[in-house]
Amino acid sequence: MLPRTITFCYRKVLDAAAGAAPSWDQLVLAATYAEFRLQAQTLDPARRYRTLAELLQHVPGAERLHFLVSAAVRGYLAQLEGWVPDVLDNLGRRALRFTQFQFELLSADVLDPTRHRVAISFYSEPLHWHATVGTYLLVAEPGPPAPSGEILTRLVSLQPYLSIHSLSPAE
Amino acid sequence: MERKHFLKSLLAGVAGAPALLAACSKESVAPASTTGTTTTGTTGTTTSSCAVAPTETEGPFPTHVPSSYVRADITDGKAGYALTATLTITNSTASCAPLAGVLVDIWHCDAEGNYSEYGGSGMQSTNYTAVHFLRGRQTTDAQGQVTFKSVFPGWYSGRATHIHVHVYSATGTSLKVTQIAFPEGTGTAVAAVNGYAKGLSGYTSNASDNVFSDGVALELAAVTGTTTAGFQLAIALAVPA
Repeated sequence: MLPRTITFCYRKVLDAAAGAAPSWDQLVLAATYAEFRLQAQTLDPARRYRTLAELLQHVPGAERLHFLVSAAVRGYLAQLEGWVPDVLDNLGRRALRFTQFQFELLSADVLDPTRHRVAISFYSEPLHWHATVGTYLLVAEPGPPAPSGEILTRLVSLQPYLSIHSLSPAE
Repeated sequence: MERKHFLKSLLAGVAGAPALLAACSKESVAPASTTGTTTTGTTGTTTSSCAVAPTETEGPFPTHVPSSYVRADITDGKAGYALTATLTITNSTASCAPLAGVLVDIWHCDAEGNYSEYGGSGMQSTNYTAVHFLRGRQTTDAQGQVTFKSVFPGWYSGRATHIHVHVYSATGTSLKVTQIAFPEGTGTAVAAVNGYAKGLSGYTSNASDNVFSDGVALELAAVTGTTTAGFQLAIALAVPA
C-alpha cells in the first residue's frame, strides 16, 4: 500500500515557567516581550491600554501585533537549524524538519513581564506515514528509495502539543 | 505510559530550571539536558515503555539575537526605484540637540501600495527565513542620524505617499509616532516616479490627506534624485526626550 503524506504541527507554549536562566525559551520570551512593548506603543500611542486583550478589543488593527512581534523570533528560529525543538524520535534524535511557523501572542502586559505568554507552532516538512507501530508512527522522508530498495524510517510518537496538521491521500 | 513519562520528564525539566538557577551561576545548563540525564538512566531498564531518550547534541548555546527589524537595508528584494532615507532625530526639549542612541523604526508600503503582512490574515504560517519587507530599525549615531536603504514607496487609495516613523528612547519608551510626507507637483520625486505602474489617477495629495492636511511643514522631507540614479530623502524630526 502506498503511504499517505502527513505534516506535523508542534505548538510550543512559552511563559514564565521558562525561568530566568538564559535558555532559548527565556531569550525568546524576553525578545518578544520587548518587541511587544515597542509595537504596542505604535498601535496605542496614548498608552491607554496595558494588556494584549485590551489592545485587541479596543484598537483597530491590533491583531497585526502577532505578525509585528514575530520579527523578534525569526533569529531564534534560525538557531534551531531547521529542527522542530523538543520533539524526539524514539532513538532520542530530533525527528522533524520545519521551515513554516506561526507565532501567536497569548497574553501580554506592557507593565508585567511575568504575564507574557506566547506560542510558536512549528509545521513539519511533509513525511510519508508508512505504518503505525504501537503508539508510534513509522514515518520516512519522501523521495525515491535507496538503490537497494530500502526506505530509512523513524518512529515518532504523538505527544502533548504534537499533532498531525495535514494529510494527503496516497498518490 | 510513555506519555506519562514524557510529561513527567517535561515537568522535571521545567521544575529543574529554577533550582539550577539558584544553585549555579549563569553557566547553568538548559532544562533540556536535565530531561536527558534523567531518561538516560532509565533507558534499557524498562522494556514495555520506552522512555524518550535525550537529544545527543544540544547544539550551540542560544545567544541573544536582535529583532529582524534591526537592519539598514529594508528592501528585501522589493522592486522599485532606490531610495536612501536619512533621518536626523533631535531633542525638542534641549534646543534641538541631536539625539544619539534612540531607536528609529520606519515602515512603508511597496511599489504596489502593500505593506508586509502574512497574506492579509495576519495568522497564517510563514517561512522563518522570510522577511518583514520594508520595515527596519536603527539606532541613531552621535549626530542623531540613521540611514535606511529602501525603495521609493508606492501609494494606495486615500493616502498621499508617506513613510511611517516611530522613535523610541534607548529603553523602548515611545517618544514620537509620526509620518514623513513627500513634496509633490511638477519636478518632484513623486511626479517622477508617477505612482509606478498605477499612475497617479486617484492619488491623494498632501492637502487632501487626512494625516497631512493639517500642514506638513514639520513632516515634509527633502527628496532629490532621479529614477535612474535613485532618490535621497532627508528629514529632521524633533521629538521630546
